[in-house]
Amino acid sequence: MVNHMVQQAALDRVFSSLADPVRREVLIRLGEGPATVGQLAEPAGMSLTGMKKHLRVLEEAGLIVTEKVGRARECRLAPAPLDDAMNWISFYQRLWARRLDGLDVYFTLRKGNGDHDA
Amino acid sequence: MTLDMRVTRQLPATPEEVFDAYTDAEKQKIWFSILDEEPGIVEIEVDLRVGGRQTAVWGPSPDALFRETQTFVEIDRPHRLVTDSTGSGPDGTTMTTRIEITFEPHDGGTLMTVVQSGFPAPEIRDFFTGEVWTGALDRIEAFLTAKSDA
Repeated sequence: MVNHMVQQAALDRVFSSLADPVRREVLIRLGEGPATVGQLAEPAGMSLTGMKKHLRVLEEAGLIVTEKVGRARECRLAPAPLDDAMNWISFYQRLWARRLDGLDVYFTLRKGNGDHDA
Repeated sequence: MTLDMRVTRQLPATPEEVFDAYTDAEKQKIWFSILDEEPGIVEIEVDLRVGGRQTAVWGPSPDALFRETQTFVEIDRPHRLVTDSTGSGPDGTTMTTRIEITFEPHDGGTLMTVVQSGFPAPEIRDFFTGEVWTGALDRIEAFLTAKSDA
């Protein structure tokens, strides 16, 4: 029940953050890749301060993450949907490292034994 | 949009030997866990024919098992092997991808190349229309309507 209410509160934040056309444009722009606050503000014809207010709403809703890179603040989509793919890729990278290391050692040992016998 | 993964390794054996060791169930059991310090659970079954399956189950304990089932799509011994792989983790999630392995004679041994493709990377469009967002647009509309009434 508590979980349900927390979920509802999170959803409310998401929906209210999406209720603004500027914020929806920001999400679509970030779908193409990360951007700085300035890069987002310019096409929207907004001041940096105005854009920052919108970005804070999106960040609080968990839709984007922002990070200071040098003197600029970079924004990108929250990684949740991509995380799944990246988790699987790192899972398979470990699996293939294990397989190829195993094959390497298997042949190296066999070759060593073979040379020894000969 | 999908993501690909690619790994290569030079192995000290002929393509025929590598192909054989890679696809033989008994040999797989040896090399698959040859580097494990503690023996975990490893089960391997291979039915090496087009449409046949290769299953590997491994993990440190019965409640933390990973399973990978590969279905053979193309077998060109000892040059090329194509499978559809379905991996599933202890949390129950699964992922199906295509694996293409080539075995090329190289430098007195074999260059083994693995290309695994089809890891789904949702685009922004999918982000809004995927499972999480089913009904979201309706609810946003309802929200906006309610807001303008207020």
